[in-house]
Amino acid sequence: MDKMEGSFAVEDMQNVQINIGAIVKEVEEWDQPMGPFPYPTIATLRDWDFKIMNRYKVFYSPICDRCTLCTYGPCDLTGDKRGACGIDQAAQQGRIVLIACLMGATAHCAHGRHLYHWCLDKFGDLPVNMGDEILVDAPITRTIAGIKPKTLKDFGPVLSYFEEQVSQLLASTHTGQEGSYLDFESKALHAGMLDHLGMEVSDIIQTVAYDMPRGDEDAPIVECGMGTLDKSKAILITYGHNLAASSEAMFYTEDNNLWDKVDIGGVCCTAHDNVRIGEGLGYPKEISEKYKMVGTKAKIAGAIGWWRKMVRGDVMDCVMVDEQCVWTDVLNECSKLKIPVIASSEKIMLGLPDRTNDPVDGIVDDLVNFRMPGVAVLDPTKAGEIGVRTAIAVKPKRAEIREADPFLSEEDFKKYAESCTYCHSCQFVCPPHIKIGDVVQAAAKGNFEPLSSTYEICVGCRRCEQVCPQDIPILSLYAYANKEYIRNQKFKMRAGRGTVKDTEIRRVGAPIVLGTIPGVIAIVGCGNYPNGTKECYDIAKEFVDRGFIVAASGCMAMDMSLYTDDDGKTIWEQYGGAVDGRNICNVGSCVANAHITGATIKIATIFAGRNERANFDDMADYTLSKIGACGVAWGAYSQKAASIATGCNRMGVPVVVQPHSVMYRRAFLGRTDKKEDWEIIDARDGSRVYCEPAPEHMLYVAESVEEAMLMMAKLCIRPSDNSQGRMIKLTHYCDISMKYFGCMPPDWAIYVRHASDLPLKWKDDMLKELESKHGWEIDWKRKAIVSGPIRKMDVSFDPTNIERKIRTKK
Amino acid sequence: MTVDTTKNAVPFEMAQIPGPEMAKAYNTAVIGAIMKKAKRPLLVVGAELFEDPVMFDKVIAIGKTGVPIAATAHSIKGFIERGYTDNVTMIGLHPLTNYLRFKDWQGLDGQGQYDVVIFMGIFYKFASAMFSALKNFNRDIKRVSIDRYYHVNADMTFGNLAFDQDKYHEAVDEVTAKLTA
Ligand code: SF4
Ligand code: SF4
Ligand code: SF4
Repeated sequence: MDKMEGSFAVEDMQNVQINIGAIVKEVEEWDQPMGPFPYPTIATLRDWDFKIMNRYKVFYSPICDRCTLCTYGPCDLTGDKRGACGIDQAAQQGRIVLIACLMGATAHCAHGRHLYHWCLDKFGDLPVNMGDEILVDAPITRTIAGIKPKTLKDFGPVLSYFEEQVSQLLASTHTGQEGSYLDFESKALHAGMLDHLGMEVSDIIQTVAYDMPRGDEDAPIVECGMGTLDKSKAILITYGHNLAASSEAMFYTEDNNLWDKVDIGGVCCTAHDNVRIGEGLGYPKEISEKYKMVGTKAKIAGAIGWWRKMVRGDVMDCVMVDEQCVWTDVLNECSKLKIPVIASSEKIMLGLPDRTNDPVDGIVDDLVNFRMPGVAVLDPTKAGEIGVRTAIAVKPKRAEIREADPFLSEEDFKKYAESCTYCHSCQFVCPPHIKIGDVVQAAAKGNFEPLSSTYEICVGCRRCEQVCPQDIPILSLYAYANKEYIRNQKFKMRAGRGTVKDTEIRRVGAPIVLGTIPGVIAIVGCGNYPNGTKECYDIAKEFVDRGFIVAASGCMAMDMSLYTDDDGKTIWEQYGGAVDGRNICNVGSCVANAHITGATIKIATIFAGRNERANFDDMADYTLSKIGACGVAWGAYSQKAASIATGCNRMGVPVVVQPHSVMYRRAFLGRTDKKEDWEIIDARDGSRVYCEPAPEHMLYVAESVEEAMLMMAKLCIRPSDNSQGRMIKLTHYCDISMKYFGCMPPDWAIYVRHASDLPLKWKDDMLKELESKHGWEIDWKRKAIVSGPIRKMDVSFDPTNIERKIRTKK
Repeated sequence: MTVDTTKNAVPFEMAQIPGPEMAKAYNTAVIGAIMKKAKRPLLVVGAELFEDPVMFDKVIAIGKTGVPIAATAHSIKGFIERGYTDNVTMIGLHPLTNYLRFKDWQGLDGQGQYDVVIFMGIFYKFASAMFSALKNFNRDIKRVSIDRYYHVNADMTFGNLAFDQDKYHEAVDEVTAKLTA
């Protein structure tokens, strides 16, 4: 403790000095003038938020009509009713949305804060060196904070800013504070923006400290899937989102030459970060000298949706949890299979004794002899060593137990399956609507097919088991019937490449803004829903094949690795990893999502020469009008996904989500029947122009994957598309519609400005339809449109939503 | 023999309990009568029709009585395959519900806002949330479900028939018969 307090004191002093020095240096090296909005507070960007919400109406679908937050409650807010405090249903929903976004944003920021202290302790201050090909190194930090971080310590004030903002935002949710849904949503957008800042800070800290790839399109191919865990060795699972303790387990294994005795497999984002360690540019020395490429020795056990299935599948000997997305019954689940648990984060201690200050030998002995189901050890180095040693020592003991009494024997399986009374209780609660009664009935008759074909669709929520009056351990039946699948779940994934290079932005900037690359698709979050993990592969494949730039992250990137083409290649082996058309890049763990929004800023600054410094609304306006990007979270469960999506929306990036996401309660949806909502400014002279609704929505729930793909293609349309770009985008939009819907989308005509916008494939038919159905005037000799479109094609149109961008007033 | 659609009136996802105002389960005659009496009804159907394809034919039978159909998700495909698109419009459930909650919306045909919306064949959680949006933000529209689930946020619904396909089919046929009677 003494050491930590000492280092804090010194750090604070140094911060002052560095800040003073930095101002002088920045003038020399970063000659951008300070923009209008450094460190924006709650109300600073409110005008921008209201512009967004004026076009994209806040849409609520309450999940609960009541409020129970204070002693006046419960209050019924259904319809026009108000609570005792005066709040109405819309504002109450906005309040819940804001709280969810704050949960998500603080999860990332607190992660970054922990890494900040831990890395400064472990490595000392380090330069933020992203390599020669990345000069715009921390685009979101530059845009929001107005600083260019030189060393890790420069992130200190950025994190402090974040912490002050979330404390102000959370305060506004107290009864009797904010009362307008619009202002709650503006605050939620603020929280979402902060989330992206927190993610960027977290990922840059770990990239710089652990020498992770810095925009490496050739990041190594690593192993992914439960079957890659070598059962001849002890298996340590590291589960969560923070690599501190997990990396120490890897370093301990390397230092002691134990890789032939232990396999380390990650679950959820820790898996991503494990396999990125030591694969960067060769600094810091501490990593590059001792642990170069050590990341390739760890394995990706799988995504969050597989967690309970892994436990029931008996794939691990010991588990070490860190933070975020750790199912809170980890101890119950693991103790049944005699899997010792080590909790390594203050945020998740699970009621376990804090053994941080006890000697390692004693802790390992207690765990290996099952004197306690788990321990909390908050020193990452110690936790890492305990994890590895416990896994190795407990493996033979677990084998003995399994030998004497298998966790689920053949007789057990039969007995349970046959006890099913076909009461349907399970089917009432299964989120993906698996007909579990039928599945169990089939199993009782010796037919395992339904248990295998629904295995990937099951999200492992355990709801069915909890309502089953016969106490059938349904997930264990699944594990029993899918032993072979588990053994063979062996795939390849590209390790997270991290950020985007400036050189890549130079290459794709113009094609993106003109539309000739039809869009940037970001596939993020977890891939649980609604129909199993396969749909994330299908989405990725559809858009890569169509020449979009596809970026993936988090559990989605892992889940899409579980499928192959006819040649047995995963998507990562089928395509390159660059930020380019017909490529697919894995940016990394969830915090690496920041690089995707960061890339839109980089396009505005590197390609279009705009100043990003403290200039958030300008960057977002540029993105909204000119960068055809669309995010999709097809299966996300978390509040972090809510804040990430909300942050994308403030940045002008629309997001499509899956039907379970109605639990997020709020969407932003446009109305194409309101022409006035789509008025936009032409920055050349300040004139106001009615524009096609592009993008039409900001946050959209799709009912099926087919609808999601159609909407994603449409939401990549932007006012700035040139004719060739619009033609390409319309071609994909119409083509996806023909492929999955069997017809043209009913609204294609509103995106046509000129005959050369029309897809060649259908040009004549479309012209006919414009004339006959929409009453447009067509000059058939020239095959030209004389009148009809919402606006004419104009190559130098410069759309903006911000008055200060007007160059000369009319 | 009429199907008793008032039984099993418990939320299909058990924890889906919104508050004091919960749907009532009605028999097919009452629901049929409400649909028939509606001035501007809209039948909204979704992608779950593909899981029980005969439902497309049953929806088309309702469409033929003059009730316009909004085909959400990619369900339009099922209508095209059956050669019936007369009064079927392709639209996402999310934007459709967004339009429905605004009193000034003029409808899919430009003839004005609807007075009764009927949901069927839509993923439960999504449909439930969209009913909730209307329940809270546009109470002028009557919310009717003829899906196989007890729909807690509707005004009028069947009880759960999810595990008895034959009965469910029969119940829908009874509603259709009421419309043509
Ligand atoms: S916060 Fe307001 S709405 Fe909620 S219980 Fe208290 S008085 Fe009722
Ligand atoms: S554990 Fe799987 S089968 Fe059971 S309710 Fe959850 S998703 Fe359905
Ligand atoms: S709840 Fe249990 S007994 Fe009832 S159908 Fe499901 S598995 Fe069978």
